[in-house]
Amino acid sequence: MSFAAEATTTAAAVRAGSLTARAAVQASLDTIAATDGRINAFTAVLAERALKRADLVDQSPRRARMRLAGVPFAVKNLFDIAGIATLAGSKIEATAAPARRDAVLLRRLEAEGAVLVGALNMDEYAYGFTTENSHAGACHNPHDLARISGGSSGGSAAAVAAGQVPLTLGSDTNGSIRVPSSLCGTYGLKPTYGRLPRTGSYPFVASLDHLGPFARSVADLALCYDLMQGPDDDDPACAQRSIEPTTDGLDGGTGGLRVAVLGGWFREMAAAEALAAVDRVAEALGTSRLVELPEVQRARAAAFLITCAEGGALHLPDLRRRAQDFDIHTRDRFLANALVPAAWVVQAQRVRHWFARRVAKALQTVDVLIAPATPCTAPAIGTEWLDLAGQRLPARASMGLLTQPISCIGLPVVTVPLWGCNPAAPHLPIGVQLIAAPWREDLCLRVAAALEAQGVCSAPVANLQN
Amino acid sequence: MEHAMDHTAYIDAAAATLGLKITAEQRPGVTRFFTLAADMAALLDGLPLTPADESGQVFRPVSPDLGEGAP
Repeated sequence: MSFAAEATTTAAAVRAGSLTARAAVQASLDTIAATDGRINAFTAVLAERALKRADLVDQSPRRARMRLAGVPFAVKNLFDIAGIATLAGSKIEATAAPARRDAVLLRRLEAEGAVLVGALNMDEYAYGFTTENSHAGACHNPHDLARISGGSSGGSAAAVAAGQVPLTLGSDTNGSIRVPSSLCGTYGLKPTYGRLPRTGSYPFVASLDHLGPFARSVADLALCYDLMQGPDDDDPACAQRSIEPTTDGLDGGTGGLRVAVLGGWFREMAAAEALAAVDRVAEALGTSRLVELPEVQRARAAAFLITCAEGGALHLPDLRRRAQDFDIHTRDRFLANALVPAAWVVQAQRVRHWFARRVAKALQTVDVLIAPATPCTAPAIGTEWLDLAGQRLPARASMGLLTQPISCIGLPVVTVPLWGCNPAAPHLPIGVQLIAAPWREDLCLRVAAALEAQGVCSAPVANLQN
Repeated sequence: MEHAMDHTAYIDAAAATLGLKITAEQRPGVTRFFTLAADMAALLDGLPLTPADESGQVFRPVSPDLGEGAP
């Protein structure tokens, strides 16, 4: 049982009057009720609000023009939802005042007829890549319940993969959209830094925080993204750019695009299944070109330290007063981070800029870069160590090894899911990053659509019958 | 790293300065994660930069027509 319809299909049916928004939303709520005991994607299900909202869509004179009419969706629980506390995966925020209004992106989607059905599990304060949340419990991977969903937007990916909703929103600071997309087999978009306003979301690292959508088709992903575009003065990092729609260009194909595989760090830190996925995408796109970026490991270190400093400083008051209330997976890291000297952070910001300039030069000769989204397929819940590149590395931090250098410089990325790349676990997906120059989300989405059309990537609903 | 740092002494001093109490239970984790951050900092120190290499954090002035830039 699942809400398997794509957002565009549901919206078309509601617009045409062959399906009511109430029926679409009820189907989603029923699926959540039937499956979430095993997945644990949701931390709040807002049935009353959702059904009221669905009725408003059904009665709206604008219904026939709403691009997401009756489409159920859910958001990572760091998005403000009017009337409930914004948890950001924590116990601490449970006693905060309820949000006074919905986050900007949520309002933009509902203005087009989408209907919010709930809030989703995540790593505490978005600091993690696994969603093994000690307060809410671990979020389980719908394709293999013993494995992690990835994080920090684990609930966002899992809800889509489980067929609970066709669309979700998450955040990505160091890989938190791309890692769970990869491990749960969904499409995910991390737009350019500054593209989508973060107003009404709980921050983690303001210098690196991005918001973006998850979906089971490229058309849904692009539509959701298009409807969320546009500046907002209350997010100081949000660029004053007009809306640049991508949906109409999705079938533009890849002809004329210069595509290359990222080498060096992006191949060295990848297991066989990640390399197989990238090679399959490269072959489908007809490229054997390899591009190597300079100092990728240092770019990752820069993102790491900026994260330390801003995350540690943000939570300093609570670390002083109630450190014991933090998740065991984040507490000691936040405490250590609060102590990071300023000189390290300033150097990290300078390296970030240095790296951004070098990558910009590389992007003068290539339109789309390909790299794995995660070093491997989803590990079992509780995994402590990964063997990668001949090293024994901490599993939780290492899931972001290949995403962190890219978000460090704010490039747009679509993650596309591939299957059967790990012969030992063919049922598990793994994602490939399609990376473009700043503000060229359209290219990432165009290539993703071409790969989807060729059958190279897909995002099926998990089989939860057993 | 040329200027090898005594992390224990630094952690104690910085925590005291910031008003943070590091308990015995927290200390091993805090030391491990701070050491990891120090390793990252050492890696960054190895990249030769010039004074002209500006920060990636750029301040954007707030226009008067936004009032205080916030609602």
